[in-house]
Amino acid sequence: MIGISRDGRAALAYLAPAALVLIGLLGYPIYQLVLISFYDYGQEQVSGGAPLNWLGLGNYAKLLSDSQFWTVLAQTVGFAACCVLGTLLVGAALAVLATRVRAVPRALLFLAALGAWATPTVAGSTVWLFLFDANFGLVNEVLGLQGFSWTYDRWVAFGLVAAQVVWCSFPFVMVTLYAGIKAIPGEVVEAAALDGASVPRTVRSVILPLLRPLLVVVTIQSVIWDFKVFTQIYVMTGGGGVAGGNLVLNVYAYQQAFAASEYGLGSAIGVVMTVLLLGFTAIYLRALRRSGEAL
Amino acid sequence: MKRIALLVAVGALAVAGCAPVQSGPSGGAADEKSGQLRVWLFDEVNRGPKQAVVDQAVKQFQSEHAGVTVDVQYIQISTRAERFKGAFSDPKSAPDVAEFGNTDLAGYVAAGGFAEVGADLDKWPDAKDLSPSILDTAKVGGKVYAVPWYVGVRALYYRTDVFSELGLTPPKTLAELAPLARRIRAAKPDLFGISVGGKYTYGMLPFLWASGGDLASQQGGKFTSAVDSTNGRAGIGRYTELLAEDICPPQQCAQNGGDASVQAFVSGKAAMTIGGDFNRGAMKAGAVSGKYAVVPLPGMTEGSVAPAFAGGNLLGVTKSTAHRTLAVQFLQLLGGKSFQRKMFDAMGNLPTFTDVQRAVAEGDEFERPFVRTLDAGPRFVPATPAWAKIDAQAVLPTMLQQIATKAQDLTAATATAAQHMNEAFGS
Amino acid sequence: MKRPGRTLAEVLAVLAAAAIAFPLYWMVLSALKPESEVISSDPKPWTLQPSLDNFTRVLTTQGFGRYFLNSVLVALVVVALSLLISFLAATALTRLRFRGRTLLLVMLLVAQMVPVEALTIPMFFLMRSVGDAVPAFGLNQLGGLVLVHLAFSLPFAIWMLRGFVAAVPVELEEAATLDGASRQRFLWQVLFPLVAPGLVATSVLSFIHAWNDFLFAKTFIISASENQTLPLALLAFFKPDQNDWGAIMAGSTLMTVPVLVFFVLVQRRLVSGLAGAVKG
Repeated sequence: MIGISRDGRAALAYLAPAALVLIGLLGYPIYQLVLISFYDYGQEQVSGGAPLNWLGLGNYAKLLSDSQFWTVLAQTVGFAACCVLGTLLVGAALAVLATRVRAVPRALLFLAALGAWATPTVAGSTVWLFLFDANFGLVNEVLGLQGFSWTYDRWVAFGLVAAQVVWCSFPFVMVTLYAGIKAIPGEVVEAAALDGASVPRTVRSVILPLLRPLLVVVTIQSVIWDFKVFTQIYVMTGGGGVAGGNLVLNVYAYQQAFAASEYGLGSAIGVVMTVLLLGFTAIYLRALRRSGEAL
Repeated sequence: MKRIALLVAVGALAVAGCAPVQSGPSGGAADEKSGQLRVWLFDEVNRGPKQAVVDQAVKQFQSEHAGVTVDVQYIQISTRAERFKGAFSDPKSAPDVAEFGNTDLAGYVAAGGFAEVGADLDKWPDAKDLSPSILDTAKVGGKVYAVPWYVGVRALYYRTDVFSELGLTPPKTLAELAPLARRIRAAKPDLFGISVGGKYTYGMLPFLWASGGDLASQQGGKFTSAVDSTNGRAGIGRYTELLAEDICPPQQCAQNGGDASVQAFVSGKAAMTIGGDFNRGAMKAGAVSGKYAVVPLPGMTEGSVAPAFAGGNLLGVTKSTAHRTLAVQFLQLLGGKSFQRKMFDAMGNLPTFTDVQRAVAEGDEFERPFVRTLDAGPRFVPATPAWAKIDAQAVLPTMLQQIATKAQDLTAATATAAQHMNEAFGS
Repeated sequence: MKRPGRTLAEVLAVLAAAAIAFPLYWMVLSALKPESEVISSDPKPWTLQPSLDNFTRVLTTQGFGRYFLNSVLVALVVVALSLLISFLAATALTRLRFRGRTLLLVMLLVAQMVPVEALTIPMFFLMRSVGDAVPAFGLNQLGGLVLVHLAFSLPFAIWMLRGFVAAVPVELEEAATLDGASRQRFLWQVLFPLVAPGLVATSVLSFIHAWNDFLFAKTFIISASENQTLPLALLAFFKPDQNDWGAIMAGSTLMTVPVLVFFVLVQRRLVSGLAGAVKG
């Protein structure tokens, strides 16, 4: 085996390019982001027309005392949870389905899924909106709901957007899980069958544990992506729905801060979002570790 | 070792930047008399005619100024915020002359983007004919920062075929509007009585102003929201009354902005709407072509006109320009009487000089109600950078939508909006 | 032997495929419809007068070809660089034991959690400073976009590749070492080809990331129109008064097709690659 010190030196060499890029181009901006969140930092300050004003935790205090922030936060969590669940369920179900069919139907399924995956987010949101348009949409034409607006009621609108989010993010889950299931050696499943285990039991005690590392990865990724949904809400609900009823944190941050050039407050929201995601991931990973899984 | 290196790097960075970055103040000290003049204009749906007029101006300017080239770039309205913010923060890539919307002015000036041109206008003979109420839209704190290039005002469009079939005449006062719209929808349930929208702030403003209300009052340089005053509420109520099942159902209208509201009329789904002179092209191409007429939106008393919002675009000189004299000269050429007239002929943009306006109205039946509305004195949003913030936070559309969807009543919604506005004014 | 239930499963699979593909079908259809049929209160799921007008309009937009090339260039450079850098980093993170490894892993996750939109402002100033030092990588330059996309695609790329590298049996490395192969040779001649499927999967995701970006293209390319990328050409058809739906759909189709082709070409490798992650 190779010695520890040699490992350390090699690691340094291998990690150097990544560290250079990540520290310089990501770490430094993130550090600036945190810094900005402590200041009153608007367009005047950015262009050097006004002095900087240190607020300390002022932006955070303002945020936490804003009742709309809490509503939006609750909505975001609920919305993200639904999207993650939907994505995982649809992705897993179709992955299982794909293992049960012959080549041609499977190829069709994969082609469709890859197509959904390949569609740019803006284009995907626009097409969905177009399909569900109150007057010109095919869905209303087919259902005989001429004039029914899918984006008027808060929950109907959230449902529509969630469906779109699931549509464009399930392929990642499906392909990954399909690959995972295919990689499980056939002998393992056969052995379980020979031992007389029932199908549900085989799934529970043989297949699921083997898929677990993959499930962890796709869950964490889905949570990270769905918590930060921006484009779909922005495009499909016209920037946050009727009277702001469909705001999620990322869009709220954009409206409260970037459109209005209040970068300090916007950065604070960004930091809060990061901390929340971090907290969730930590809890999730700890729960996993307690049940015997390491990162 | 790795960790130490990391710590050192992080520590160095933390020391290097213990405050967020700022641009240096952008100074336009130089005033070169030759070289390239960079001009940003807005891209338009049908840019051809605009570009032809601008090219003509460029040609003329270049022949009058040897050694000067003018580079015109057309920028997207949808990405203008990023482009301008970028230009203000990185003077290297900033233009010398730019077209921009008058509601963006206060914010751009506060960001240090545009130079004062009041003294230059004083020396310019054309300037005395600029309509005073329109010139106000180019001022911040009493100082002029741009030349108004064209204005857009809104008036009341109505369907002549529907009105004559039902034996109706256009409303004479604002109070008559809602009952009239209700009567039309009762007779023709597939039509909106009047197409208005929950996000159509500029359509709402005339109601607010006509009722004696205002967006904000100014005292000693400090603005205070006035939307929750008695008159303000009455005006807003008069508008949101239209967002009802029996006139313009919220299910279909609450999410509409100005474009969508006008579009419903254009496609023949509404008996009336509030639209601008700039919607002329769409009307001509739409289902209502030849079946509509325009009157000024009436005020509270018979014969009066509800004050319209003075929308429009300005031409300004950036603060960071290195060709100040040339930039002002180009501004006076493109924004002057002769080229405003040419722009009207090409694009239908209403001129900002009173005498040119009058000349235009005489020759054109369609423009008359709009020029009358302009004569009656259009009004403007509070000239403060805070307005950009209020606009971006969608304070007023949210208020209108809350009332229209009955999520909040008039009193509560206007109070919330006033609170948000005051927060923006206060910062 | 015909397995019961398989027919049902196949019918289900085909139905699901049709449902998933429908929005895509609608996109291509709307792109092919003549203008009067795109916005119609009586939409039909077919068209009898397909026309390429919308595509012509998009393709003849000023500089479309240039934008396309710019997009391809940026995406390919980002993919190449991120593969190289993330392969090395992933190897270090899985094959070598050193202190702070878990911390680094957690930091890679954290980096993905920061909302990208919030980072534009600090990024803007960073790129401006970079531009002062090395003009080709600053604002207004394609090099700047490459750097930004590289930074944002690396954490996920490393995170994903980690699984693939871990799936290569350690015994292989030991055998190679016993054979006297240097670490360098093992890295490039043994490990690199073995994780190829994983590299493909990672490159697909990096590619999509750079290809679809609107945010940075419109923020960082301030006035150099010759350096715009494809999504900006699409944005030109979103008008304040009336969106040009036909052109938007045609543009979206043109943006989707290259990615889809790429996907289909690497599909097998993508799947077998992702499978690698589970063996580890």
